[in-house]
Amino acid sequence: MANKTLRVDYIARVEGESSLELHIHNGKVGTVRLSIFEPPRFFEALLRGRGFDEVLDIVARICGICPIAYQMSGVHAIEDALGIQVEEPIRALRRLLYCGEWIQSHALHIVMLHAPDFLGYPDAITMARDHGEAVQRALALKKTGNDLLRLLGGREIHPINARIGGFYRIPSRTELASLAEALKHARDEAVETLRWTAGFPFPEFVRDYEFVALRHPDEYPMNAGRIVSSAGLDIAAADYETEFIERQVPYSTALHSVLKARGAYLVGPMARYALNRDRLPAEIRALADEVGLEPICRNPFRSILVRGVEVAYACDEALRLIAGYEPSSRPFVPPEPCASIGYACTEAPRGILYHCYRIDADGTILDASLVPPTAQNQDVIEEDLREVATAGLDLDEEVLKAQCEQSIRNHDPCISCAAHFLKLQMHRT
Amino acid sequence: MTGADRPSVLVVGVGNRDRGDDGFGPAVVRRLRGRAPSTVRILERSGDALALIEDWDGMPSVIVIDAMAPISEPGRVHRFDLTDSPLPIGFAPSSSHAFGVAETVELARSLGRLPQCLVAYLVEGEQFRIGAPLSSAIAEAVEDVADRIVSEILRKLKAKGKRLHA
Repeated sequence: MANKTLRVDYIARVEGESSLELHIHNGKVGTVRLSIFEPPRFFEALLRGRGFDEVLDIVARICGICPIAYQMSGVHAIEDALGIQVEEPIRALRRLLYCGEWIQSHALHIVMLHAPDFLGYPDAITMARDHGEAVQRALALKKTGNDLLRLLGGREIHPINARIGGFYRIPSRTELASLAEALKHARDEAVETLRWTAGFPFPEFVRDYEFVALRHPDEYPMNAGRIVSSAGLDIAAADYETEFIERQVPYSTALHSVLKARGAYLVGPMARYALNRDRLPAEIRALADEVGLEPICRNPFRSILVRGVEVAYACDEALRLIAGYEPSSRPFVPPEPCASIGYACTEAPRGILYHCYRIDADGTILDASLVPPTAQNQDVIEEDLREVATAGLDLDEEVLKAQCEQSIRNHDPCISCAAHFLKLQMHRT
Repeated sequence: MTGADRPSVLVVGVGNRDRGDDGFGPAVVRRLRGRAPSTVRILERSGDALALIEDWDGMPSVIVIDAMAPISEPGRVHRFDLTDSPLPIGFAPSSSHAFGVAETVELARSLGRLPQCLVAYLVEGEQFRIGAPLSSAIAEAVEDVADRIVSEILRKLKAKGKRLHA
């Protein structure tokens, strides 16, 4: 193949605005650039000078898809700084809130954004004419997730009920129980969705990622755990910046995060599942086995199956939490500001989300550092693209472009968060 | 509730009150509360547009009010019957990542989940700044659109009444 440039100016079906540029020189893939051109959003600077109790309302605005993740990493980091330990019912409600976000975010990506790639449709609207039942299931799952967010978070977009120390208002047992029937139905919809995706044609493609995720002694990780990796990393959130570094690249408004020692790494469902499959209940592991999902999945095109397993798990976990819920005697632990620094990492749908806040004695935020999952996955996405393009050099240009876009969507990038992305440019010279 | 007084018309104002002219839809439905007949269900929606499919489930007639980017004159109101055809190109924004009202309507059409009658009133906005009030031209259109919708609802209910008594 001659020298050429392939370009996708706006990558569709991802959260945010980005483009992709591939340079092919003498039949070899050269530069691969995933450019995020969303304007930089300066949230870390916006937080400086604000009160610690304003943080959750501000960081919830970073993302319309995963506001809970931002609120949860924020609340845990500030509580770490202030030395607050919440009661078990509050901890359970936070995990339940996260279940709602995983359900609605994963259901949206699996069916509306990713499935059209495998089935050869330009979008979910066209796909819905032939696969209406699958789309109806996704809408029902999304609604159930949103119902959880609305009850616990006050509203589904940019929720308002979480606060430092707990919640402004905690639900009654009756209110939570009212969601149980819908969650049981959602569990069935999740299993059907997983079985549907298991029949998709998956390219043979394997990558040797370093997986990074949280790991908890007992739980499939959401709100708590140490940061571990498939290469032996095992650290507390407080040591994140010792091991990881964010760097600027000239072609993107988003920072790229790498492991100081080893470079690119992968966060998200594939990493969580590879490092924590043993923390899933036996029924969920059996479901993964039934659809042929290997214990460690290294084919990013099969990440759609991992998301499906996680949706089913989130429904089960939500039902377990609702069944065992006993309301706390008080909705929140009153916070007392003090000069301190706090760290936290939680598992957003797309992977670990790191927050760090330095607070002064009156509770003013002096410094904030936020590292979203998509910033952490960008090097891996570019490496995936290089391999996909290398394997597909002889393909028709439009086919190769489509495969490259699908490769990016494998990781469900949230560009708005990362800029805090997609057009594909392929240059052949 | 009998069949005669079950809500048969849904009016949804779509938009964010805190984003300038995007608050047009919510402003119109606030104006309609107390004016529209009690058998009309009125909703304000600022979040996930896909939820509209659930909102209008089982509702024979739906009117959606939204703001749009300016294409000719801020404050100009466009009425579209979307029952049998999508929003014309130029009125349907395309987004790389979000499902807006236009995409939601077409998804519902693919799924066979459109109401029997779906009408959209769209106003051309001037600005969508965070925290800004409605621009004067857009604010002036609120009352006019509310009047047009009340008339449209009364015509629909009258036609329904004739069918019921026929």
